[in-house]
Amino acid sequence: MEYIGEHLLIGKIGNIFVILSFVFALLASISYFFATKDTEDALSWKRIARASFRIHGFAVIGIIVTLFIMLMNHYFEYEYVWHHSNKAMPMRYILSCFWEGQEGSFLLWTFWHVIIGLLLQRTAKSWEASVMATISLVQAFLASMLLGIFIFEHRIGSNPFTVLLREHPEYSKIPLFSNPNYIDTIDGRGLNPLLQNYWMTIHPPTLFLGFALTVVPFAYAIAGLWKKQLNEWVKPALPWAFFGVCVLGVGVLMGGAWAYEALSFGGFWAWDPVENASLAPWLTLVGTAHLLLLNKQKGQSLFTAFFLAILTFVLILYSTFLTRSGILGESSVHAFTDLGMSGQLLIYLLFFLFLGVFLLIKNWKNFPKQTEEEGIWSREFWMFVGAIVLLVSSFQIMFYTSMPVWNKLFDLHRAPAKDVISFYNNWQLPFAFITTLLIGVGQFFKYKNTDIKAFVKKMALSFIISFVLTMLMVYILNFSNNYYTLLLFSSFFAAVANADYMIRVMKGNVKKSGASIAHIGFGLVLLGALIATSKKDIISQNTSGKSIESLGKDFSNNDNILLTQGDTLTMGKYLVTYLGKREEGINIYFDVDYFTKGKDGKLQKEFSLAPLVQTNPRMGNIAEPDTRHFLTFDVYTHVTYADLENLKVKKESTTDEYAAAKNYTLKRGDTIFSSNAIIIFDSLSTKFDKTPYHLDEKDIAVKAHFSVLDVIKKYDATPLYVIHNNTIQPLAYTVKELGLQFMFWQINPADGKIQISLQEKKSNTRDFIVMQAMIFPYINILWIGCIIMAIGTLIAILERVKKAK
Amino acid sequence: MKKIHIIGIVIIAIAIGAIFTTLNNTSTYASFTEATNEPGSEFHVVGKLNKEKESVYEPKVDANLFTFYMIDNKGVESKVILHKNKPQDFERSEQIVLIGKMNGNQFEASDILMKCPSKYNDGKPQETATNSK
Repeated sequence: MEYIGEHLLIGKIGNIFVILSFVFALLASISYFFATKDTEDALSWKRIARASFRIHGFAVIGIIVTLFIMLMNHYFEYEYVWHHSNKAMPMRYILSCFWEGQEGSFLLWTFWHVIIGLLLQRTAKSWEASVMATISLVQAFLASMLLGIFIFEHRIGSNPFTVLLREHPEYSKIPLFSNPNYIDTIDGRGLNPLLQNYWMTIHPPTLFLGFALTVVPFAYAIAGLWKKQLNEWVKPALPWAFFGVCVLGVGVLMGGAWAYEALSFGGFWAWDPVENASLAPWLTLVGTAHLLLLNKQKGQSLFTAFFLAILTFVLILYSTFLTRSGILGESSVHAFTDLGMSGQLLIYLLFFLFLGVFLLIKNWKNFPKQTEEEGIWSREFWMFVGAIVLLVSSFQIMFYTSMPVWNKLFDLHRAPAKDVISFYNNWQLPFAFITTLLIGVGQFFKYKNTDIKAFVKKMALSFIISFVLTMLMVYILNFSNNYYTLLLFSSFFAAVANADYMIRVMKGNVKKSGASIAHIGFGLVLLGALIATSKKDIISQNTSGKSIESLGKDFSNNDNILLTQGDTLTMGKYLVTYLGKREEGINIYFDVDYFTKGKDGKLQKEFSLAPLVQTNPRMGNIAEPDTRHFLTFDVYTHVTYADLENLKVKKESTTDEYAAAKNYTLKRGDTIFSSNAIIIFDSLSTKFDKTPYHLDEKDIAVKAHFSVLDVIKKYDATPLYVIHNNTIQPLAYTVKELGLQFMFWQINPADGKIQISLQEKKSNTRDFIVMQAMIFPYINILWIGCIIMAIGTLIAILERVKKAK
Repeated sequence: MKKIHIIGIVIIAIAIGAIFTTLNNTSTYASFTEATNEPGSEFHVVGKLNKEKESVYEPKVDANLFTFYMIDNKGVESKVILHKNKPQDFERSEQIVLIGKMNGNQFEASDILMKCPSKYNDGKPQETATNSK
């Protein structure tokens, strides 16, 4: 069939770019390989290699531009465009659409490698060929992820330019495609509303730049092993490694910020597998960078430096595998779905792992034998210990995160424990404690040997200040957990000791204090994370006295509060009122006002928050939090349940009308629910004071006793079943306070069951929301720490690069 | 013994510790029957919502209580008491993972994970006209 209005040319152009990018990456790798040989042809190989890599870079940019044009013009004939965008979506999210899919995120990663490669071509000098050979090979692998061709019935890669929607195996049979002009009627599936957030425009590029930067120390390490220049690779790799530490660290924390702003799991860090998968390589990268530094100064711990540099890159590949193979399945909120490329990813991972291990073993004998042992009071000894602690910490995180992999490999059926977060916290706490202590003392140690008396004297001030600060915080925040108090102290110590070093030793010279500034930042990150996490206060506890606690003593999961429109309830130090909901686009906002009681007892409005639920008929409803930021704490709220059905009923009904009756058949002890109370059928009685009911002597009357429990009080309801002159004339009972009316219609003598009807006042069905609110104290320390850490690292790198010139 | 050896031993000890505690700190994917046989132990039970039977959520009475019936992957049904709010989009869930313990003839769940067909993969190409109702 001939289709009208399709834009097939642009896809062909895109596909040409894809093929070019793959072929020239491969060519660059091969020619760089030959360029490292000591032959006459080496120079011409190098020329070919350089040109090839540039063409590869041009092709990658060509792919990106083409894909952008397709997204911006809504060419829904392409599956990728249809899958990740739609017409209604604001243009500012076009970037998020671009990297929502696996193909786009691989492109982003490839793009950063291109930029890094082009920079290395200019700066790596004698290392260019041997380093770029590896990077080009990585690029060839990544470019193949986009090929989308079949080799022996195995699909290699997934190509956004060749997969047409009407040819997609899942959709090709849809009758829509019998219309030759289907393009005019179609709209895209749209971007996942979770990702329609400004963090999603800046977090992925940062994170992927961090990922991409780990390739540089890796490629240098491979080149060093390959060319038997076991010491020389350290110096040029060093600034790259620290730049990676900076960018990846910021990228990981940005992910936390996104989760905090846009996801409703109540925090910035949940030890989610996807988060862990980027944290673990960051830890080993920090280890790598510090060992490189140690190596450059003292030529020690060379093997471990190699090992960590290789491990970091392999961990990045492993993370990619974990998050994209679909193996994480239910255990993560934001893993990608499988595109059938996990086998391919696994091959790359194993290839680079074996390449590294093989070269390490091959060079085993060439590593210098360390004759002299490091002294216990030397800086190098403790730096090495620090790097090892980071490695072990990373191992613990990765081992637990890989549980689905172990399940698959060994046919286990293990599920993550209920409280994964505290498990990780307990394990990581000692690592963090040791690391922060080492960060504090690190620079005060001298290489080789330290005069221990002078050292103690120098440390005393920081120790005392940190101790005082810790005690102050313990007092203010009412810290009771001793382990947390230890970490509180060590984090303070890390920050204070480095500030002290900067002021007293470096005489406040900012340019030379990059390391100290970065360490202060890291101390603050941990400090903020520790305080905000451990003193997180869920203020939305059910303040009502009565609830059916008896059902769940084991689970004091009392974290939600019910807010009925118009009522004012106490929540923490605030009084809150739910005003109502409003609809804006696909978002439904729930306006909640926060008050405090002034001295005169009057309510004073402090602020309003409007947590929202995003509705999308195709993607479901997703709650997004709303947070009020103060200098020393945040009030974080999200809606956990809301009735979205009666959206159109804006105004509550104020009439005294009763809604239609509901009928129930009950036996003794049964429980029913009205919209505002629990009703338990307690008993029947025939002997009671009949005078108030004005009954005849001959009447048969049975009284039913109900306990009616609302959140505050217990009421008794006693409707009467009366047979008067052989007709049933029940006497109703009304619980006025709750607007409930009971009628007792029938008794079945055989099984003791009764029939009643229950009517509710229409005004009972006021709108309500169930909400969770928590206070995160001092969370700003975390974000400020992150910025300081990034700035410090950048200062240190710039200083190092300047010195090298 | 060199210091490096001591460090090595400590690392190996910690690593083994990490492996063992990890393996001990897991719960098991199981069915209702297995959970009934071991009341008091925590399990992950995977299954589907029984849409025929009533699920009750009365937030005005208790916002942290939600009851429904689930059929596990082996076809066994059990009443479930979830000590949490009713999750958004509950009815649309394709698969449910419950975390909790068996208590008598009902499963007391402290947490729930849902797999919605919608979140990442749902939606087929369709005409916009039929879409915008």
